[in-house]
Amino acid sequence: MPMFTKLAHKTSTAAKSSGQTAAKTAAAAAAAKGNVTSPAGKHFLDNTRWQKRLQKELMSLLKEPPPGVTVDVDQAHTKLTEWVVHMEGAAGTLYEGEKFQLQFKFSPKYPFDSPEVIFVGENIPIHPHIYSNGHICLSILTEDWSPALSVQAICLSIISMLSSCKEKKRPPDNSYYVKTCSANPKKTKWWYHDDTV
Amino acid sequence: MATAGPSSSSSHSESSNNASGGAEGGEDEAPDNSNFECNICLDTAKDAVISMCGHLFCWPCLHQWLETRPNNQTCPVCKAAISRDKVIPLYGRGSGNQQDPRDKLPPRPPGQRTEPEPQNSFMPGFGFGDGGGFQFHFGIGAFPFGIFTTFNNWGGGAAVPPEMERELPQLLQYILLIMAFFFYWNLFFG
Repeated sequence: MPMFTKLAHKTSTAAKSSGQTAAKTAAAAAAAKGNVTSPAGKHFLDNTRWQKRLQKELMSLLKEPPPGVTVDVDQAHTKLTEWVVHMEGAAGTLYEGEKFQLQFKFSPKYPFDSPEVIFVGENIPIHPHIYSNGHICLSILTEDWSPALSVQAICLSIISMLSSCKEKKRPPDNSYYVKTCSANPKKTKWWYHDDTV
Repeated sequence: MATAGPSSSSSHSESSNNASGGAEGGEDEAPDNSNFECNICLDTAKDAVISMCGHLFCWPCLHQWLETRPNNQTCPVCKAAISRDKVIPLYGRGSGNQQDPRDKLPPRPPGQRTEPEPQNSFMPGFGFGDGGGFQFHFGIGAFPFGIFTTFNNWGGGAAVPPEMERELPQLLQYILLIMAFFFYWNLFFG
């Protein structure tokens, strides 16, 4: 599977929008009911197909997880659109022995829309592309997303991003970004310019 | 999926009729089946189309992806340029059995059928109509204009793209008509 790991800092943030959050919850509720058409009346495929895809991804992640990755199956089963993935720093890297948690949220438009992926829990990795609130600057999570990518691919990208890190430090604009950003990293206008890490 | 060895062979027939998620055995796709899974929904491709770069999708899945990014249509797998006109539908033997395609939204693009290359006729200039390179032309005006109208008339078929063969001389004819008009205007009234 080809991967595009242009990684970098972000520069500007999109404003929080409570209206959008409300719309999102409404959409999520519609998805739960298994609606076939979106509010705009556009034809969407039946939701069972995307549930099926998520189920398939869950199965393959259980069967062949990338090294150091385990998925919280019970939680994924209770709510298929929200997963928690446990991740261990790879051996021989700066993050060896550390444990992290990644939270995946899938919108009703998944896989056409990328999942929302952030680090959660007590230990947020210290990395030039990871903000202290858990937001990750990774191009495949926004503009370079493709429906052929998967949770497995994202996990692998993040492991690779951590493993190639040479120096543990926060992004230069961390304190400003964390203060001004939206809770949803997908609302941030990311600027991908540093693909060295 | 590659590791699903002989143990999964018992579930082979089961997985072919799209078990909807229930038993563990039904999820276990046989390795040969996964080659025909859509790259978007990860299920066996329905209304299958294949891109020029060789990647398989369900047409509804691919269509939805193309609609998502109308300005940047790329193959989800390899990011090659892709478009509605550049995908080829796959018709298996069972395809006659499917539901009415008109019920399906969006319609799958049709296959592109090109007629086999016609045999060259004996004298290309006189082969009116099919295959030959004959083209109507007329010349108006004096020598310098007439000379332009005569080129490109014996096109042997392959040398000039068909669009150009049709449109370019027509454009020239219009220009020449206008020029000839002014030429005679000048001649008589100038």
